Amino acid sequence: MTSTIEVTNLSKHFGKVNAVSDVSFTVAENKIYGLLGRNGAGKTTLMQLLTGQDFASSGTISLFGQSPVENAKVLQNTCFIKESQRYPEDFRPKDVFKTAPWFFANWDQDFADHLIADFRLPLDRRIKKLSRGQLSSIGVIVGLASRAPLTFFDEPYLGLDAVARQIFYDRLLEDYANHPRTVVLSTHLIDEVADLLEHVLVIDEGKLLINESSETLRSRATNVVGLKTAVETFIGTREVLHRDGIGGLSSVTVAGLSESERRDAKAAGLELSPVSLQQLIIQLTRTETKEFEASA
Amino acid sequence: MTTTTSALAHPASPLKRITSVARLHFANPWTTLGLPWIILGVIFVGMLTIWGLIYSAIDPAERAGALEGTQFSGSSFFIFVYMMVVAIQAISITFPFALGYGVTRRDYYLGSALAFIVLAVIYTTGLTILAAAETMTGGWGMGVTIFAPIYFGATIAERIFVQFVLFLFFLFFGSAIAAVWVRWKASGVTVFFIVVGALLVALFALTTLTESWAAVGATFVDLGILGVAAWSLVLTAISGVAGFVLLRRATPRNAA
Repeated sequence: MTSTIEVTNLSKHFGKVNAVSDVSFTVAENKIYGLLGRNGAGKTTLMQLLTGQDFASSGTISLFGQSPVENAKVLQNTCFIKESQRYPEDFRPKDVFKTAPWFFANWDQDFADHLIADFRLPLDRRIKKLSRGQLSSIGVIVGLASRAPLTFFDEPYLGLDAVARQIFYDRLLEDYANHPRTVVLSTHLIDEVADLLEHVLVIDEGKLLINESSETLRSRATNVVGLKTAVETFIGTREVLHRDGIGGLSSVTVAGLSESERRDAKAAGLELSPVSLQQLIIQLTRTETKEFEASA
Repeated sequence: MTTTTSALAHPASPLKRITSVARLHFANPWTTLGLPWIILGVIFVGMLTIWGLIYSAIDPAERAGALEGTQFSGSSFFIFVYMMVVAIQAISITFPFALGYGVTRRDYYLGSALAFIVLAVIYTTGLTILAAAETMTGGWGMGVTIFAPIYFGATIAERIFVQFVLFLFFLFFGSAIAAVWVRWKASGVTVFFIVVGALLVALFALTTLTESWAAVGATFVDLGILGVAAWSLVLTAISGVAGFVLLRRATPRNAA
């Protein structure tokens, strides 16, 4: 397996603020990665560093085996769609779609035309007159139709309604199946994209907290629901990530369970359910923050 | 259904990458070509109206003398200064856009420089045609001067050279300001103008203190319009290099 991105000990400081601090990870070729984290966690800065738009304070970045900074050979294989992507004000969407193929060797005009119809994007209206959602759909269309071997979407769907977001997820998955490529998607709508992501990177305050495949991550925790007494007996001294309860009922999120433990739980009349990626990340992030505070 | 791996895109040649950026500035030609010509058109019509009123108001015997002064007209000078605005706008709106397309700053700057040279050619050609029309119509039928004022040179070739070089100067000076803007936003531009202002004042002070105004004046007279225009190429080159160096480390930011 080749890695498209290799990041080693990457840091970026703005004055005294550590936007990204000592982050190392790799991104495997032709997979969809989720870059998750709270607002201001450093997601955008990280993506700007990866695409050579910003300059690292220390550490190394390698894309396709080379540094991306001012490297046309690398950068022409990337497409970076930002939430706040600015377009020339006097442009109309059709000007954006006219110019994009000049820069993306894999651009697919038919696909772009389909997406334009899907998103009902008016082509002749000036950029400054478009709604927030329409602006976002331009970015989404460029990001998909460019078929860049490495595509970054940074919160690409601000202002897009639920239907449009679903269209984005569906088209991304379909097109990815036919034209595998590496996608890094940053978002805080975690549950919406959970099924899309093969691997999850979570950053908080510039630090990489989680770097795991979605599958491993999901197996890290289970919800145990049942009578309070039965639940308490079952969990014993297990690590509890989250606890909820109403009256005599209790719902507890515990760290991963083995097959035999699962059988025991069912025998004890407890219900087991998977934890949603969003819940899991919220809980793990909290835990890791606590651990970090405890160790500090 | 066939499954194809998006192999790395076929590398585009450096020339292709640079011309693509240059074309970006003309993709919607409103900023670079539309608005400037409209403004020039409005000035032209305005000037004609004013000269027309004067023309009809004065005694036919004195017309030639009265309108001779229009050969010092500065009306077309505006379009040169406006090129600075065009360069600033063109760079500040396309830079963050182009970088999202995976363009390097180097290719971006070279492509923009190419676009600016093309713009200088287009505008010089336009002004030359208008000046020729002005001469052919005997100063728009009234003996007035709008497009061929005396200080752009006496012959057509001289005018073409002077105007082309002036357009280049304002476009590249504008691109240096744009680079400052893209990199440091408003505070950077403020500092830039304070520094430029201070340099000019220092230069004036130096000239005054050393009592060299006469010598400076003589130098300009000796150089003539062609010499001055030729020397402006030095400033143009400095601006061009400065713009490149500044933009090379600029990062597209969200704040406008």
